[in-house]
Amino acid sequence: MIYEHITNFAGKPVKDWEAQSGLQDPEGACYALRLSYEEAEEGRRWTDKFAAFLDDTSSNQVTGIVIGDWGLLSSAMDETSAPVVEALVAARDRLPKLRAIFFGDIIGEECEISWIRQSDISPLFTAYPQLEHFCVRGAEGLSLGSLKHSRLKSLIIQSGGLGANVVREVAAADLPELEHLEMWLGEENYGADATVADLAPILDGGLFPKLKYLGLRDSQIADQIARAVATAPVVERIRVLDLSLGTLTDEGAAALLDSPAIARLEKLDVHHHFCSEEMTAKLQSLGVDVDASEREKPDVYGDEVWRYVAVGE
Amino acid sequence: MWRSASSDERLDHFVVIGNPGSRRIELFQAALNELRLPAAQVVSYLDLLSGKEALPRSVRDGTVVRIESPGKDFEVERALIAAGADAADDDERFDRVSRRAAQDLSFERGRILYPRQWYLGYCATLRLIELQLAECPPPRPLPQWMNSPAEIALMFDKIACHQALGARGAPVAPSLGAVGSFDEIGERMKERNWRRVFVKLAYGSSASGVVAYQTDGRRHQATTTVETARQNGELRLYNSRRIRVYRDLREIAELIDALCRQRVHVEQWAPKAGFDNRTFDLRVVVIAGRACHTVARLSRSPMTNLHLLNERGDEGAVRERVGRAAWDAAMRNCELAMECFPGSLYAGIDLLFTPGHRRHVLIEVNAFGDLLPGVFWRGLETYAAELLAMENGLN
Repeated sequence: MIYEHITNFAGKPVKDWEAQSGLQDPEGACYALRLSYEEAEEGRRWTDKFAAFLDDTSSNQVTGIVIGDWGLLSSAMDETSAPVVEALVAARDRLPKLRAIFFGDIIGEECEISWIRQSDISPLFTAYPQLEHFCVRGAEGLSLGSLKHSRLKSLIIQSGGLGANVVREVAAADLPELEHLEMWLGEENYGADATVADLAPILDGGLFPKLKYLGLRDSQIADQIARAVATAPVVERIRVLDLSLGTLTDEGAAALLDSPAIARLEKLDVHHHFCSEEMTAKLQSLGVDVDASEREKPDVYGDEVWRYVAVGE
Repeated sequence: MWRSASSDERLDHFVVIGNPGSRRIELFQAALNELRLPAAQVVSYLDLLSGKEALPRSVRDGTVVRIESPGKDFEVERALIAAGADAADDDERFDRVSRRAAQDLSFERGRILYPRQWYLGYCATLRLIELQLAECPPPRPLPQWMNSPAEIALMFDKIACHQALGARGAPVAPSLGAVGSFDEIGERMKERNWRRVFVKLAYGSSASGVVAYQTDGRRHQATTTVETARQNGELRLYNSRRIRVYRDLREIAELIDALCRQRVHVEQWAPKAGFDNRTFDLRVVVIAGRACHTVARLSRSPMTNLHLLNERGDEGAVRERVGRAAWDAAMRNCELAMECFPGSLYAGIDLLFTPGHRRHVLIEVNAFGDLLPGVFWRGLETYAAELLAMENGLN
């Protein structure tokens, strides 16, 4: 579960945009546009708030925006993100400096991550050719289309269950500048149906020539992923491998230990894992920067053993 | 605001009504001892209910009477349910059990037993406490209540308490009013465009019988500590420490309908702010009209009140994050809420802050919500602070 709104994005602090306070630091901060519980109760709409933001005289200087709850909390209806995508696309000429978009900074107390209804967000990449950082939360209904973008450096997809269709779109993307790729794969119960084979084009290493960070996080099949990544060519290219938040056990960790390429990384992040104490110690003595904190214990009910990813639901 | 009967009177005689040997009574005696006050005479609920003990034997003019929780004792629970068997109920829809059958109930860990009838029995007991004193022949003793019996009854009724707070202008989450079934809850949610509610047993301690229910019209999810079991065709309810998530509509309906048969309070599930990668709420103990002790309770589930004693947040850090203005406003509203209970010296009020700490919402008032050993305000634990407030006021 995610409990707090983000405080930093694309290297900048995040501030809530409110009509009263306006834009005090349009270039130094990312501005969050969220329909708060209070505003929703008053019957206000996200699109109106966004229109007011665009009317703020310095909004054309803004470099990063965070889209918060667009009214999911206040609506008994199924609202997708399509109207938000549409509003952002229509605002393209009014946000000429926009480099960073966080689409869906919605916490569990507002809407479960697997209940966030996304949509086809591919028009955003065409509308904002200068975009460098993009993060989306929630995978239901999500589509990236045929993703081709000449500036994008960082792509993050946070979900409780990422569909194979999205993984395949990423694995077919043309992103020559991509340095940071992060996918929260999640659990089958919440829509995760990608297999290791779907990741193959990414693991082969040729797809994103500038990749430095690869995050295959929050995965229920973390062991399979660890085994595949350990010997994958992509590890030779990247500096940071992030397999955190998932259900990694000794089995997957052993594969990582056996890989000479893993030992040449700058950092290996596996925090929130299910490895034994011995294995955790071995990982920590790999000689690279290792985060193996948050050692979890499985839930045992009778002879059933359950290991949960950090963010499901 | 609560005022002591006469401030020049020395407090030299105490009676506590509770379950002898309970931690609450031990801590109260310890607080008396710490302040060099005489130990309290203990009157047990069981003896009061069986007629073995009557208050006129122990209470005299100026006696300070403290009513403690009757909880955590199955014999007392059973006696209260039995006492509720004969109480008139204005509403006949709720599960009832005869006095005799109540006396034969056997203990099952966590089982939720006839909360409506328990409440009626507890109200009858609180009235009995008052009546025993009122019916004394003159000269009638005039006790000083720490908390008035009638107000304890009000605090224990979540529906009436929510109304009282709202009428006083304290911020509460909107409620759905009286509802009798899951279907009715669904309809009212749709009318109001709500997607999330808390369904709580109208009576009982804060964490008992609570379901956090959400739907987006297609999906349904109920997060709860309540477990169900079918026995002899009867659906039994249990409180557990484990959080369960139900996603099957039929199961959810069955669970919530079972709770509705005990009477429920349903209110909007206002989103909570997070802290330290958890969600949190606050327990605020108001004493003599003043917000004193505070505890931040952190949780990974919507039920923040589960682990009252084990998952505490660093109060100073929480306060700093919330910000002074928002924090102070919340404290003032806890104090405002206590104006609904002018005959009560103290209560524990639960409240949440919405994300961004834009607003706060009072969740409930706990008559016995002052059991917070190890939490200090000006160097005093709650019980000692209450006694000092009676003696001198808190300034």
